[in-house]
Amino acid sequence: MRKQPGHRHSIFCILPPHVLREIARTGAEEERQAALDTLAADSTFRTLRAIRQAAPVATASPATVTLAAVAGTGDAKQLQRTIFDCDHTRRLPGETVRTEGAQAADIPAVDEAFDGLGATYDFYWETLRRNSIDDQGMPLNGHVHYGNRYNNAFWDGQRMIFGDGDGVLFNRFTIAIDIMGHELTHGVTEKEAQLIYQDQSGALNESMSDVFGSLVKQYQNDNQAAEDADWLIGEGIWVDPDRGGALRSMKDPGTAFEGDQQPGHMNDYLNTIDDNGGVHINSGIPNKAFYLAATEMGGYAGAKAGPIWYAALRDPRLKPDASFVQFARLTVINAEILFPGGQEQQIVQDAWTEVGVDIRV
Amino acid sequence: MRVRFKMDGGLVYIPERSEPVTLDTDDLPEEEAEELERLIEAAGFFGLPETSPPPRGAADGFRYTISVTSSGRSHTVHLADPIEDTNIQALVEYLEAKAR
Repeated sequence: MRKQPGHRHSIFCILPPHVLREIARTGAEEERQAALDTLAADSTFRTLRAIRQAAPVATASPATVTLAAVAGTGDAKQLQRTIFDCDHTRRLPGETVRTEGAQAADIPAVDEAFDGLGATYDFYWETLRRNSIDDQGMPLNGHVHYGNRYNNAFWDGQRMIFGDGDGVLFNRFTIAIDIMGHELTHGVTEKEAQLIYQDQSGALNESMSDVFGSLVKQYQNDNQAAEDADWLIGEGIWVDPDRGGALRSMKDPGTAFEGDQQPGHMNDYLNTIDDNGGVHINSGIPNKAFYLAATEMGGYAGAKAGPIWYAALRDPRLKPDASFVQFARLTVINAEILFPGGQEQQIVQDAWTEVGVDIRV
Repeated sequence: MRVRFKMDGGLVYIPERSEPVTLDTDDLPEEEAEELERLIEAAGFFGLPETSPPPRGAADGFRYTISVTSSGRSHTVHLADPIEDTNIQALVEYLEAKAR
């Protein structure tokens, strides 16, 4: 096999990603390394293409890069939404009440879910060039009015499920767009890294959903600058504003509501049996790291910090049982790959240091 | 019959939501006691597997731990959203309403 200049492993370059991933998992040592190198380059280039298409200004500049609306780049959008009404039972799927192209149902939960799924799809497409959860146009299904006064929303592995809240503790869960972005991102994380929903990897999984959920909200707010965003998840969910303003704060973990236990630093990492080892609690630490990196970089967080985190999520070196340190390391590495010679790598490293996650690259 | 019910998980962690609740049919009004016993029976509780894990890739769902002691026998069951069986759904909804 003749090696082309600039390609260390030319034969690996023609293999599709799913084959490369299999080799990365099961091949002999040299093959595994070749596959990993190719995948890392491929992931990075795909993300780089997305950034360059959207922001033709040189990304090496430390100035704020605002993503312009992408025009004429070839529309591969495959947005296909269906909303189902569970009619206050837990029976799934429920009755179809709104489909793609159909007019509004004039029911808040239905229309909010429909719009939220669309906004999340659009964010992933416009900012990261990702075509739905699986990057292959996976249909987006939302199920509303689930259960009787059900104080929750969740991702069941295939679809989003929303309760109405009991009207005492919580309002309906479709009221906050970042909650929808949060839930759908669980699908993305499961597709990419399969971060195990327990302990640190689970807290990373949770944080990923908060990070990209927040970005959906900021994208909806016309690519709002990080320094102007509120970095709150689930604003308006609490019925009693004295009880809480939001479910979580990425900017200041532990301050979102009365009884919020989120730490913002490894010194306060909570070792617990509850909540799968505190996945919704300790997510405060990587959340804060993202907030610090994004605000330090400035501008719309989907321009730099978001793509860096996304590249790390898709990095084949990110294992399902990854720790905070392992993920942090990959964000630093991918910052350098995406913005070679720029300040971004140091900003990311400093952010992790500030939350007590020590990286030695 | 004594029923202990504990919830865990959910989109946000609220400590008081994770506190267990115990119901004793001796302490309940007759109608409620009968309702609870009926729900336990209809769910086939004592025949349920100890653990029913959530589907692959699921996140933010509630997990429910139900322990029942009755007539000398005892059984504990761990369930996760989404619950598929309508009888188990009814039991969980009843217990969840009590826990609120």
